[in-house]
Amino acid sequence: MEKIRILNLSKRYGKVLAVDSATFSVEDKEFFSLLGPSGCGKSTVLRCVAGLEEPTEGEIYIGQTRVNSTVDGINVPTEFRPIGMVFQNYAVWPHMTVYENIAYPLKIKKLPKELIQAKLKVALHTVGLERLADRYPNQLSGGEQQRVALARALIKEPEVLLLDEPLSNLDAKLREQMRFELKDLQRRTGIPILYVTHDQAEALAMSDRLAVMNAGRIIQVGAPTEIYTHPADRFVADFIGLMNFLPGRVLGRSGEEATVEFLGGHRLNVADRSGLSGGCVVAVRPEDITLSLTGPIRCRVEVRNYSGNLVDYKVRADDAVLRVQTPKTEIFAEGKELGITIHRAMLFQLGEGRGSG
Amino acid sequence: MTTSNFDRRYLLMMAVGLFILLVVIYPLWQVFFRSFLDAGAFSLKSYRKVFAYPAYYRALLNSVWVSCVTAALCMVSGTLLAFLVVRTDLPCKKFLRTLLVLPYALPSFFAAIAWIQLLGPQGYLARLFFQLSGWETAPWNIYSAGGIVFVLTVHYFILVFITVAGALERMDASLEEAARASGANTYRIMREITLPLVLPAILAGGLLAFIGALANFGIPALLGMRARFFVLTTSIYYALAIPDFGLATALSSMLVVVALVSMTFQFALQKGEGRYTVISGKSVRPSELRLRSMRYPLFSCTAVFVFCISIVPIFSMVLTALLKYWGAPLAQASLTLEHFAYILKLDTGGRAIVNSLFLAAVAATLTTFVGILISYMHVKARLKGSRILDFLATIPYAVPHTVIAIAMILAWAKPPVSLYGTMWIILVAYLAVYLPFAVRTTNSTLQQIHNSLEEAARVSGAKIFPRLRDIILPLAWPGMIAGWILVFMPALRELTVSILLYAYHTETIGVVVFNLQDAGYREVAAALASIVMGLLIVGNTVIRRLTGGAAGF
Repeated sequence: MEKIRILNLSKRYGKVLAVDSATFSVEDKEFFSLLGPSGCGKSTVLRCVAGLEEPTEGEIYIGQTRVNSTVDGINVPTEFRPIGMVFQNYAVWPHMTVYENIAYPLKIKKLPKELIQAKLKVALHTVGLERLADRYPNQLSGGEQQRVALARALIKEPEVLLLDEPLSNLDAKLREQMRFELKDLQRRTGIPILYVTHDQAEALAMSDRLAVMNAGRIIQVGAPTEIYTHPADRFVADFIGLMNFLPGRVLGRSGEEATVEFLGGHRLNVADRSGLSGGCVVAVRPEDITLSLTGPIRCRVEVRNYSGNLVDYKVRADDAVLRVQTPKTEIFAEGKELGITIHRAMLFQLGEGRGSG
Repeated sequence: MTTSNFDRRYLLMMAVGLFILLVVIYPLWQVFFRSFLDAGAFSLKSYRKVFAYPAYYRALLNSVWVSCVTAALCMVSGTLLAFLVVRTDLPCKKFLRTLLVLPYALPSFFAAIAWIQLLGPQGYLARLFFQLSGWETAPWNIYSAGGIVFVLTVHYFILVFITVAGALERMDASLEEAARASGANTYRIMREITLPLVLPAILAGGLLAFIGALANFGIPALLGMRARFFVLTTSIYYALAIPDFGLATALSSMLVVVALVSMTFQFALQKGEGRYTVISGKSVRPSELRLRSMRYPLFSCTAVFVFCISIVPIFSMVLTALLKYWGAPLAQASLTLEHFAYILKLDTGGRAIVNSLFLAAVAATLTTFVGILISYMHVKARLKGSRILDFLATIPYAVPHTVIAIAMILAWAKPPVSLYGTMWIILVAYLAVYLPFAVRTTNSTLQQIHNSLEEAARVSGAKIFPRLRDIILPLAWPGMIAGWILVFMPALRELTVSILLYAYHTETIGVVVFNLQDAGYREVAAALASIVMGLLIVGNTVIRRLTGGAAGF
């Protein structure tokens, strides 16, 4: 069942079209991410769902309720929407204790005191803040404030949870840890999450599905593996993970396979349904290349970066510089003459999906 | 659900709009409108009169040149002091700075009175000069254009000092270090790097001083009218005494035009300041210039100057209040408290204190209340049209107080709503005068409250009223209290508006001090002024404590 449904959502600020007819939906129990470079409109979509921005066009459903419809003039105020939200800067109220912060949504609902206390006990336990209940936010670390914000968002048992780059203010270690915690929390509560981030690693790691946005438009919606292995266009290919782009030519095709020529005459058969012919862009992931003494395409190691779990090379082959990542089993010296083997590649149209991100 | 919620906010906006219309727009429009009116028809007669009589157009010229000279002197002294206090290793800098700011916390006409006591005929410093030099007459005259410029400078140089000191503090030290690395010596760095970089701040401060001097009434009134030296503000006062409303409004319109032009320049300068790389938010302290052998001589000069302009006038005021009679020889002077007792027993004195306290408290409360509403609609809710509201509420900032007083007479002193001779007309004028200050503090208070704090409350299910009650107001409270005091203190000592609007029974402290001084009861005037100074200094300390030094003088 769909928990959030967005139909042809557009948002215009003056002359700028921040969101351009976005359509997608979030299923029950799903972790759904909106991913894109800053300024792509992802936060605007989230804020429209929250009712903090009014769409210029389109419809939004939360559960069965239509909360926005520009055609019928519906715009349910934020305070009446069944949502929980965590802000980028947490927005924990500095003049209230942890307890008061988390209890606030229940106080607004005018629940009886005993019930609030009982619920708070559970909530504080869930996020591990029992001992900090009487503290003020300025006595908490960033991670702890984050948990307060999370508990506050969940306490009124909303139908959906909206997260606006909640991890971006945490340091790297804590961010990793919170990724697992968020995911775990979602498993336990089963609440559908709409998550906004510009961090592709984060989106890939946590999401059940994600939507990649650029310049106000949704480019591709899919599971992380699908988006990583079958990016819809050159922008997505570039934005998600690392990618080498090389100029090439389609020589011919048979069925769903195309033969391309690139890197000075090297030929490769590529799975491709695009129907491209003639000049094209050949995209190769760094981990789809292996280095060896005998590889068919001659190259020279220019720079080598050792980064613990893998080795990162820049190699020059026929005037092109390629990024290659290999396991640390075999390490080649800078300046060494080698050969590369390309196992997998994707084809994109020339000049498509460039210039942003 | 939506519509009812939004309607209420717009209803609130309309109420605030009506308030601004009645208090600001309608009265000011009257000034402009009436200046072109003669016997009910359009006419330029009043303007022609201004240029036909030398007395009037000279007032315009006097205003401009006095303000220009004042601004120039302020720029020199303010910049010099700012350099010394911010960029050198002068001893006791913090203390000097606190003292420097002190004169501005007191009303300018107190300064005029104090400097009459010091430099006037029989003044303390004048007598000291006679004794030392053996001369019979002083080579200066405080009741003159020179005296006006001097007291205006002492009062307004701090505006240049503050802007320049701020720019110097925010300046990126690496700009100077780069020059040093290029081989320039300290003097060249100061002249070729530092000075050009703070030039916009110097000019902006100078314009502030110009506007202040232009709009000032107390100083030219106490020092100039006796010598028949008139500027625009005192001419307006004079025109009202005739009374010639056409002339008063024509002079007012011209005063407003000059003020508006300079304010436009000032805004442009402040905007342009952003283009200079000096002002980065980084907190890299610029290096201090070592004065070496000049350290103590310069310190002595600065200390004497600061002492003369901040402590000496206050001391002189209190001394005068304690003397048995003005001009008593100081050697065997017997001090007395009878003037204090007298002013408190005097009907007018007690009444003035009560009136001023009432007016200041009500004006501070109302302007802060309206201010927080405007700021909420403008800064937080971003309602359509709230920008205009914010702009309209800021207009009186550009209007000299003399003109605001005239506007109130024109708007609210005729049937059917005649407030003339009551406290209410002074109150309405105070509301107009102080609304811009209140809005400015409430704006910055609300800007400091991050939007997401209110949004989080909305997501938690809180509607507008609980949101204001539980989130916005508690967080804005300290800023609102500071804003309240920032209106209350200047309103308590206000002169310009009340001198034009008071009547029997509605005197304010400023009016009584001014009239006593003008009538020659210097000791009594000094006693009342001393009481107010005490209140103001205590209030200023409180507000600096409250806001951690962010507000106050």
